Amino acid sequence: MSDDPKISGRYRELPREEPPRALDDAIFAASRRAVQARPAPLVAPSGRRRWYVPVAAAAVITLAVAVTLQIQHDRPSEEIDAVAPAMKVQEAPAPKAAEPARAETRAPQPFAAERRADSARALSGPAAVPAPASPPAAQAERNEVGAASAGTRAQRDERFRAQSQVARAPVEQSPEVALERIAELRKQGRHEEADKALAEFRKRYPDYRLTDEMRAKVEKK
Amino acid sequence: MEALDEQLMLAYRDGDAGAFETLYARHRGALYRFVLRSLKDRSIAEELFQEAWIRVIEARDRYAPSARFSTWLYTIAHNLLVDHWRKKGLSLVSLETDDVPVESANPVRQLEGRESLARFLRALEALPPAQREAFLLHEEAGLSVAEIAAATGSNEEAAKSRLRYAMAKLKTAVDE
Repeated sequence: MSDDPKISGRYRELPREEPPRALDDAIFAASRRAVQARPAPLVAPSGRRRWYVPVAAAAVITLAVAVTLQIQHDRPSEEIDAVAPAMKVQEAPAPKAAEPARAETRAPQPFAAERRADSARALSGPAAVPAPASPPAAQAERNEVGAASAGTRAQRDERFRAQSQVARAPVEQSPEVALERIAELRKQGRHEEADKALAEFRKRYPDYRLTDEMRAKVEKK
Repeated sequence: MEALDEQLMLAYRDGDAGAFETLYARHRGALYRFVLRSLKDRSIAEELFQEAWIRVIEARDRYAPSARFSTWLYTIAHNLLVDHWRKKGLSLVSLETDDVPVESANPVRQLEGRESLARFLRALEALPPAQREAFLLHEEAGLSVAEIAAATGSNEEAAKSRLRYAMAKLKTAVDE
């Protein structure tokens, strides 16, 4: 842009008006008041932003409390799942051989797994739902408990698995596997358990067609 | 070495009241004349001048030197002028290409006996507001074309064109 010195010069000849002294004083006073009023915050709350901080703080606190309560609410039930079978076994007479310690970690699963599977089934329908893996924390907790009484727990595990085999079968395995288990019970002469399991099976899979061969294995002769 | 305007404003933001006074002293005259010559009404000009500085004070916490301080200051002043014109039912842009009739000359200025200067002043006052504003921003605030565009919310082409028209008209008045 080309400046014209003649125009600039003529403009500079115009009276150089200045603001009145009273105006200067009023502005200085306002500037000092602003400085004295408060130190400058890092982020200036003004207008709509004034309510952001308290609302954000309240939201964070609410969320933290909700998460904490949820964790506390969930944990006791898992602990009960983990501990209850152990208590039962301690009351029972000591069975024969102890299983290896690795069985320990599986021991408490059936109750929790079955309960979770029931919930999942309620949401997703009658199809079999695999039980979710135990969370690492719960697993570690269970390992710790198991280390204290490995022998007893191993025995309990075996017994428990036998007891819950039938009830768990429809949930954890396919109908074919469940039938195999019933046939196994029948073979072992545990007819009462086999009858119960078969009734449960029919309730769960009312439209399942048994082959003649399988029927001969699972039904009471 | 003198502190830059932006440094002074940052110092004021951080609580240094003296920095503001230095800054104010640098810009008070130019800003006052810019507003006064844009409005031609002293009482309103004083009101808007004060309001512009109050806005600077109030915005100090949010101040970040992304542009020259003077560009920011004159943007505030420009916005106040636009608000003022809107209240009066005038539009800065619509008046851009229409020449405003020359108002009756100030008798005090006539008495000064400086006919040539009075003619120049009348030509300045007769400029369309947007052209006059561009000229005043250039002369009083020392803004470049790009800074004028930024301060007035227009593009560089428009700012350049306004300034060129203003210069051409004032040149005629000077040459008469």
